[in-house]
Amino acid sequence: MASAAKQVQQLARQFFQLSFEQGALSPERVAGVLAYVEKHRPARVVAVLKAYQRLVAAEIARNRAIVEHAGALGEPILASITAAMTKKYGRPIAGVAQRNDALLAGLRVRVGDDIYESSVASQLAALAAAV
Amino acid sequence: MLSPLLILAEAAGRVPEAAADSGITQITDRFGLNVPAVLAQILSFAVVAFVLWRFAFKPVLATIEERQHKIDSGLKYAEAMQAKLAATQEETAAIIKKAQVDATRIVDEARKTAKEFLDKQTQEATAKTNDLFAKGQQAIELEHKKMLADARSEIARLVVLTTERVLAKKLSDADRAAYNDTAARELSNV
Repeated sequence: MASAAKQVQQLARQFFQLSFEQGALSPERVAGVLAYVEKHRPARVVAVLKAYQRLVAAEIARNRAIVEHAGALGEPILASITAAMTKKYGRPIAGVAQRNDALLAGLRVRVGDDIYESSVASQLAALAAAV
Repeated sequence: MLSPLLILAEAAGRVPEAAADSGITQITDRFGLNVPAVLAQILSFAVVAFVLWRFAFKPVLATIEERQHKIDSGLKYAEAMQAKLAATQEETAAIIKKAQVDATRIVDEARKTAKEFLDKQTQEATAKTNDLFAKGQQAIELEHKKMLADARSEIARLVVLTTERVLAKKLSDADRAAYNDTAARELSNV
């Protein structure tokens, strides 16, 4: 059982490595991998695809900054945050705006597993935790 | 029994005439003594005395001596028994005295042990009571602290919730935009 799971992970990792072009995830390569899988149907195909999807999603999240905001968010602000994150991580980061009124006011930026936040909601939560 | 004695006396009467003229004969004649009869009397007395001595006095004396010996033995035995009784009484008194001393010592030891046990039990009970009291105090303090912490958390939660609702209603788009600008500058410098 453990051996089968290991084989699934290995295959998914191989597909994932084949999905890169010039050091970046390529939509064409991903489409090619999916076509190959659909055509050849390897053993435990569903598990392999799930593992591959997780890896691709993690890679996309690594290169994407989701900027949650409450209220209006101007393009210059999004661009400045994207530039700051690109500079910080040393790789091209794409900014994606996402409205979240629960923040009340302010921003929350998520890059991969990293979260940067400066919002009224976070400050209130910090206040509640401090009390 | 007297016949042989009389025969002897008659034989004695036929002594020579020369002896009749001696002093002894004159004395016997003058005092009217009949020597053969006297001799016969002496002999018969001796015989009777011997018989009596041999068959009466000697056994009686032996019996008396034996009884005297028995009496002496009895007296000695009584004395020995008396001495033994006295020794036994002394020994008994000593044993009783020793038993009394031992009994007193055992009673004292029992009292001492009982007192020690009572003291120990009292100390243990006191320690246990103090421990329970301390634990109770600690539990009360912990409960008090927990209650205060819960109350503080609940108050904070209510304050935050109220503030969030108030801010959600009161914050204008301009306020949010201004805050977003500030946050963007802050996050750009991370």
